Amino acid sequence: MNAAILAVVVLLPVLAGALIPFIPFKNRLWMMVYIEAAVLLVTILMFVTLFNQPQEEFVLFRFAGNLSLSFKLDGLGSVFAGLVAFLWPLATLYSFEYMKHEGHEKYFFMFYTMTYGITLGIALAEDIVTMYCFYEALSIVTLPLVIHTLTREAILAGRTYVYYMLGGAAFGFIGLAFVLIYGTTSNFVPGGVLDFAKIGDHRNMILFTYVMCFFGFSIKTAIWPFCSWLPKAGVAPTPVTALLHAVAVVKAGAFAAMRVTYYSFGADFLRGTWAQGVVMAAVIITIVYGCSRAVKETHMKRRLAWSTVSNLSYVLFGVVLMSPLGLAGAMSHMVFHAFIKISAFFCVGAVIYKTGREYVHQLNGFGYRMPKVFVVFTISGLALMGVPGLAGFVSKWNLVKAALDAGTGAAYLGIAALLVSALLTAIYMMTIVVRAFFPGKDFDFSTISDVEDPNWMMILPLTVFTIAIIYFGVCSGWFTDMLEQISSVM
Amino acid sequence: MNSWILLPVCLPVIVGACLLISLAFDRRKDASGPSEEELKRLHILVFFTLIATTVFTLALVWAGKGSLALFEIVKGIPVYFQIDGAGRLFAAIFCIAWTAVGIYAFTYMPHEGKEKQFFAFYLIVFGVLIALAFSGNLVTMYLFYELMTVTSAPLVLHNGSREAIMASLKYLFYSMCGAYLGLFALFFLYQNCDTLTFTAGGTLNPELAAQNGTILLIAVFAALIGFGAKAGMFPLHAWLPTAHPVAPSPASAVLSGVIAKAGVLAVLRVVYYVAGADFLRGSWVQTAWMTLTLLTVFMGSLLAFREPVFKKRLAYSTVSQVSYILFGLSLLSPTAFEGAMLHTVFHMFIKCTLFLVAGVFIVKCNKTRVDELDGIGKQMPGTLWCFTFASLALIGIPPTSGFISKWYLAQGALEANVGVFGWLGPVILLVSALLTAGYLLPVTMKGFFPGKDYPSVPKDDAPKGMLYPVLFLTAIAVLPGVIPNPLIGFISRIADLVF
Amino acid sequence: MQFVQNLPFISIIVSLFSGSLSSIMGGKKAKRLNLAMMSLVAAMSLMVFLFVLGTGESYVYMMGHFPAPWGNEIRIGVLEAGMALFFCVVMLLCVIGGYQEQAAEIEDEKKNLYYIMINLLLCSLLALIYTNDLFTAYVFVEINTISACGLIMIKQNGRTIEAATRYMIMSLLGSGMLLLGICYLYDVTGHLLMSNIKEQVEIIHRTGQYRVPLLVAVGLMSVGLAIKSALFPFHAWLPDAYGYSTVSSAAILSSLVSKGYIFLLIKIFYRVIGFDVIQDSKVVNILFIFGILGMIMGSISAIRENNIRRMVAYSSVAQIGYIYMGFGLATEAGIMASIFHVLSHAATKSLLFLSASGITDSSNDSTDFFDLTGAGYRNKLAGIAFTVGSLSMVGFPALSGFISKLLFAQAAIGDGWKMFPALIALAVSTVLNAVYFMKTVIRLYTPERTAGREGFREIHMTENRTKSAAMLCLVALNLILGLGSAPIVRMIEQGLGMFA
Repeated sequence: MNAAILAVVVLLPVLAGALIPFIPFKNRLWMMVYIEAAVLLVTILMFVTLFNQPQEEFVLFRFAGNLSLSFKLDGLGSVFAGLVAFLWPLATLYSFEYMKHEGHEKYFFMFYTMTYGITLGIALAEDIVTMYCFYEALSIVTLPLVIHTLTREAILAGRTYVYYMLGGAAFGFIGLAFVLIYGTTSNFVPGGVLDFAKIGDHRNMILFTYVMCFFGFSIKTAIWPFCSWLPKAGVAPTPVTALLHAVAVVKAGAFAAMRVTYYSFGADFLRGTWAQGVVMAAVIITIVYGCSRAVKETHMKRRLAWSTVSNLSYVLFGVVLMSPLGLAGAMSHMVFHAFIKISAFFCVGAVIYKTGREYVHQLNGFGYRMPKVFVVFTISGLALMGVPGLAGFVSKWNLVKAALDAGTGAAYLGIAALLVSALLTAIYMMTIVVRAFFPGKDFDFSTISDVEDPNWMMILPLTVFTIAIIYFGVCSGWFTDMLEQISSVM
Repeated sequence: MNSWILLPVCLPVIVGACLLISLAFDRRKDASGPSEEELKRLHILVFFTLIATTVFTLALVWAGKGSLALFEIVKGIPVYFQIDGAGRLFAAIFCIAWTAVGIYAFTYMPHEGKEKQFFAFYLIVFGVLIALAFSGNLVTMYLFYELMTVTSAPLVLHNGSREAIMASLKYLFYSMCGAYLGLFALFFLYQNCDTLTFTAGGTLNPELAAQNGTILLIAVFAALIGFGAKAGMFPLHAWLPTAHPVAPSPASAVLSGVIAKAGVLAVLRVVYYVAGADFLRGSWVQTAWMTLTLLTVFMGSLLAFREPVFKKRLAYSTVSQVSYILFGLSLLSPTAFEGAMLHTVFHMFIKCTLFLVAGVFIVKCNKTRVDELDGIGKQMPGTLWCFTFASLALIGIPPTSGFISKWYLAQGALEANVGVFGWLGPVILLVSALLTAGYLLPVTMKGFFPGKDYPSVPKDDAPKGMLYPVLFLTAIAVLPGVIPNPLIGFISRIADLVF
Repeated sequence: MQFVQNLPFISIIVSLFSGSLSSIMGGKKAKRLNLAMMSLVAAMSLMVFLFVLGTGESYVYMMGHFPAPWGNEIRIGVLEAGMALFFCVVMLLCVIGGYQEQAAEIEDEKKNLYYIMINLLLCSLLALIYTNDLFTAYVFVEINTISACGLIMIKQNGRTIEAATRYMIMSLLGSGMLLLGICYLYDVTGHLLMSNIKEQVEIIHRTGQYRVPLLVAVGLMSVGLAIKSALFPFHAWLPDAYGYSTVSSAAILSSLVSKGYIFLLIKIFYRVIGFDVIQDSKVVNILFIFGILGMIMGSISAIRENNIRRMVAYSSVAQIGYIYMGFGLATEAGIMASIFHVLSHAATKSLLFLSASGITDSSNDSTDFFDLTGAGYRNKLAGIAFTVGSLSMVGFPALSGFISKLLFAQAAIGDGWKMFPALIALAVSTVLNAVYFMKTVIRLYTPERTAGREGFREIHMTENRTKSAAMLCLVALNLILGLGSAPIVRMIEQGLGMFA
């Protein structure tokens, strides 16, 4: 398999997206067909590539000395790329329906489709420079999506968003510069690339850099104390919140943190140092903090966003355990949380789309009017809580397994944090479910007589995600094996 | 043969799920209640499902062995069912109590409305409970434990008032809190055990356990507190007095009688089938556990004694009585273990009876407070007699069943080498028994002897649909006191295995 | 001696003479002459550049074949020639980009004056770049100052006069210090020619004599040039000067004039004092600290600014801070990063000024932040150009700012105690840049609520062709610097090598 295909899957959506405003579509349907076809094509190419892993790298462009844009497919990258490629066509389908009521569709889909390519670029980046480039690009290209509604609130949120994103990248950049100087290569190599002969006794310097770099990249993952952008960005249209701010963008941050930790700085070097302690502390705080805020929040999308904050730090918890098992756990939560959260968001999006209601207390009795949506929501809620038999439990299990294996006090504390967070998750998800299905004795159903399930374009993605959640809940063995194999090369 | 295990699990769950789906369609059409005809069909369906499930379960219990592994929840740990002694005991009593209460509910539920919803969840929880009883490893048990929590919450909030919804959320919160403490323990047990499959006597890997002793003890303690939440053990007991009064009486009956026992089962499994009694014996965990249970026993009785609302009083009584069982388990001695098991069986039926009687009072005369019940015996002598017998059993007056279990418990405490608890335990049990008498018998006395200026009321006993299940439950609650040997024999065989 | 070697001298003379010539011309003709001259000089610089690249070594050009110390010399290496070429091109773009404004904002009878100033400015910049003689440098510094002042003042309103006066005072202070420094050096070494001074300084440094005078001389020259190039905290003159002058002036001033002084400072470091001496002196540390402060404070001032032109001007303060931080690192890598940033900032800042003026054109000539809402839709090209410029400033990959940031970071790493302050300042200033630039970009693309107001109109890119072309070229320049940085960095390295 020619490695050039890696560049194709990255550039194709960017191009296809950039062309959207310039193509004179006959009507909306043609535009939908065009976009969906492009996205599907990329997804198919991506999966074909995943199943015939090209071994060699592909250098797209060299811009200075050892700086180049180059792509290579490896285990970690495949997981992220596969996840994104799987979700994107479905999310696009959903957005066709959803975006009807938001307007400016052409521009929306232009950026939405471009984001696809850029996210794949992060997944397939061979070295830290390429990843950084796409990482920055992701911040910029998603900005129009955040401020899409162009309300005052959206614009303020967009500002916060872009400050955090670029600010994060600025700190991540320090790590990048370090790796270029102190690394044997800028490529991602399992186990890290630091040149210890060069470093000598400057270990603390490197650790300090790592901490800055980790926080920099993790800002996209909304790590405490840099987490407030994510709930604010909830003003974006739901397909954005769901796919980008629960999966693509935020997971790109987690992915970058994985790359930096395991493939650039090297987990062995970091394990047991004060740097690990610092990042672990921040992660544990985020896990609990995000959930507590979610419990307090009454706006549905923001509530889910806070929940994302917490769950992303589950992923980071796996990352900062600095062990192969930790990485496997992090990857599994990255994937499973993606399915769970995107389906929860899509449910909320369906509610907003059909009824315009955005607050939890407005949901009384919806379970009867939108049974399909709320059954899916309930399942995703249960999965998020970590009920066995659903995907959420598996990833939690893998994370805990890694933490137990690490056996440090901080890891145990992390386990406790996971469980506290699971409890809080139960509160903020189940209160919605209870409201929706048990509106109370004197509830007047005529007040919600206009509420109904959305059409197939929304239901289909929801169904697929639900099936995925259940499927991974009941047979995750092969998947866990695969992840452990990927991470065992460390 | 093995896959038959799934039958009693799936049957009620599927029927319940179908009811729920049809409910969604009903609600879409219009809000008017079901017709008489529909109700009847519903009752027949539920009745046969209950009976069939019971029959299948009892058949499995009778067969006495078998195991079944389904898909793997996480790598290496499948959903695994296994029929063993404890599982058989619990499954049998679960399904008897559940069916009896279910039959009672046919007559009770029109009072509350929304029968379809109630019975749908009632059946689903039934299936889950059977699965819980037959769970063969800790993860499977945890799975059904969580499911039980989630699916039983609608039973609590059935009447839909704000109070009920808040109560059900409180119930969910406490249960989840407990479940996650349990999960915490599960993780550590997974790390330190050879297998999580239930094995009498425990599966702890001695080397690892010696290495990680402290954290493992903490973990087990977390499990005790956590699973103890369902069993109403201090400090996670507060949901009981909130949830019971607002739930429909059949729901309170099974919550107290059956679901609390699921908590007992979980504790039993963790202590005797995974961690092993030997690991805990003499450790601080045992001491703390005993302290907590005795505290709960005493506190529950005291609170019940002071409580004027009838169902709340019964709820506090449950708090106290289930901790008798946990105290028995905490002693880690065979006799106490037998006592605990016996008390599990007896208390389940007794408490079901008591709550159902409370339900009769609510339906017939809409009386919820104890002081309103004066002279009720004139109106409903049959019901009150049942109540009286059950009360006596709960207090532990020979020759009723409660006496036997308490005897074993006290004896176990004296036998077990637990220092001060050896005599403190029985004393507290005794005091608590006195308090039990104090809070239950006045109902009987005032009920039958309201005083001479009490207006005579016509005899108007509970309808047959309610009375018969109550009678049946009273009978199986009280009678084992007279012929306890088969049961004791069965339980001592379990005890022999785990010690 | 090949003919091409004469070209640097010829280009200085050509620009000087065309300045004189313009004084007897009308505005239109002066404009054409200026255009022709700049193109010619650019072409000549290109030839020189290619020549020097080809030979791979620098050469000294003696005027009138008188050897030092009587004669005057210029010296041409890769860096000088390249810089001259770059300055010419950017200046050309800045001037043609601002034709419309020049026509509108400058009184007719003064039009030729404007082009005289520009010609003189180019002349002085070229001389500053090429000269090998400190005193010549000083003379052209003064010419530079005067012409720059003229450029500011040419648009007549109260604020420009005030700004020009301020600029004049500060600049003269700076020149004075520079002159003082040169005097000290002359006193100590007895020479004015750079290479000769350097030999003497080496001896003095070795023997340990005249430590204090030498330090004072270095300090005076550095501070003098720092004032003139608006290093924080000497930047007070800058926002008004850049903010209210006509757009070409602002673009030229910010992207070229200050860079001329900076280039002179580099020459002083390398060719006059010697880099070893500089490294030993503590003056660089002061520059480093002020550089870092400038990076932060400039951005903070920019954030608080509600006038887009002044905001961009304050951003220059921050960018100058970057450059001085690079000096302050006192390593070869640091200087290289600074030089690259000189290029990058020149390309970006002129782009920003031009596009900002394009944006204000479509917004009733208001520079007020709130009037810019939706300007990105009204003037599409300017909106895109401003976005590109902003992204470059924020360090977006594939644009020039990214490379200079990378070079700075790489230079900072491993540089003792300066490493973490430098890195953190880089990161923080990136964040601050993001704050005000992205805030503006978002504002540009927020739909307007001012639709239909007078003066708020759509501007198509064909309406002002020269500006559009200039903006497009500058965007391309940015991309070239961002994507093709490898050869440029190599040339800078080669050029610095020739300095020594």
